Amino acid sequence: MKRYELLKELAGMVTKDDLVVTSIGGVKPEWYSLMPGNGTMFADLLGCASPFALGVALTLPHRRVLALDTDGGVLFNLGALCTVGKEAPPNLTIIVFDNEQYESVVGAPSTHTGGKTDIQRLAEGAGIGCAATARSIEGFVQNTATMLSDQQVGLLVAKIEPGVFKEIPPERYKESDGIEDKYRFMRHIEQLEKITIRPRYVRE
Amino acid sequence: MEPRYASLVIEGLKGARVRFVVGLPDTLLAGLYAAADDDPDIKYVSVTNEGEGASIAAGAWIAGGRSVLVMENSGLRAACEALARLGLVNGIPVTMLMGYRGDLGEPYHWGVNHGITMEPLLKALRVPYWIVDRDEQIIPAVTRAVIHGVSSLYHTAVIFRTPLVNERK
Repeated sequence: MKRYELLKELAGMVTKDDLVVTSIGGVKPEWYSLMPGNGTMFADLLGCASPFALGVALTLPHRRVLALDTDGGVLFNLGALCTVGKEAPPNLTIIVFDNEQYESVVGAPSTHTGGKTDIQRLAEGAGIGCAATARSIEGFVQNTATMLSDQQVGLLVAKIEPGVFKEIPPERYKESDGIEDKYRFMRHIEQLEKITIRPRYVRE
Repeated sequence: MEPRYASLVIEGLKGARVRFVVGLPDTLLAGLYAAADDDPDIKYVSVTNEGEGASIAAGAWIAGGRSVLVMENSGLRAACEALARLGLVNGIPVTMLMGYRGDLGEPYHWGVNHGITMEPLLKALRVPYWIVDRDEQIIPAVTRAVIHGVSSLYHTAVIFRTPLVNERK
């Protein structure tokens, strides 16, 4: 199964009240093409998606937060799984798109998940109570629906084929940089939560 | 860090509306981690490395929860990649509170290198910082560092040196 197919399913499950944090890599342009709104923070740091989403989830415990991570990202920052397991915010769901390779680096050796490393078992060992692996679109949809509604922290590994979707229409290309992405996401949260995060004049 | 100084740090944090503290404990600031963890008004998150901690603090910040990252100054090295990306690419601030390991008079051979690299790294990352050694500096330094992070949308740091920090006897 391909990541873009799964993201299309996911786009139908995520609401305007949810917040999403993506990893770097192919997931970023693909998710943007499907969900170009301001409810997503497009992270620019390998290994950042899940811990960044954890910070969001702990700060806004009433809001569903979704991290779209990758095998390379999780492996880069394995300790973050342990912190997620320790804190266990019930409003956080992590989806790890596992293509068993560093997709942007064509021809490189596989990631450790192409060998013996199993991210689901790592997550279970880290204390993430609800962990699963999907190997079909139906399994992905079913597990995601469960994890988004079961009020416990969850991690779903989606085993996918390598490859980035090549037929994104030009008007759906992501052209923004990290600063614009930050402002859009921050202002979106300010509107959703009716709060001011970055005031014009910062008081004590 | 003695409880009376840790209390001043906590007061400074609350004065800047910080309720989210991320930390990886070290000896010099030991009392501060415990004070943050024990404070009912503060959410304390213990992390496994400082780079992960910077990402969590940044996530909390952008969701409206002003945050700080507390660590030994060696953690600055571990967090450099995360700090560079979050700060220079996104403009999401992480305010750091650190103990000055490797300061002049450092008693441990393994601690000397922390002092050699800390200020050059802060300067390379263009992080404004304040090294404090008097108790009356604690509250204003902490509060101003947080406020400056919000107004500048960039990282800031406060470094505590002797006699505000001390070795465990």
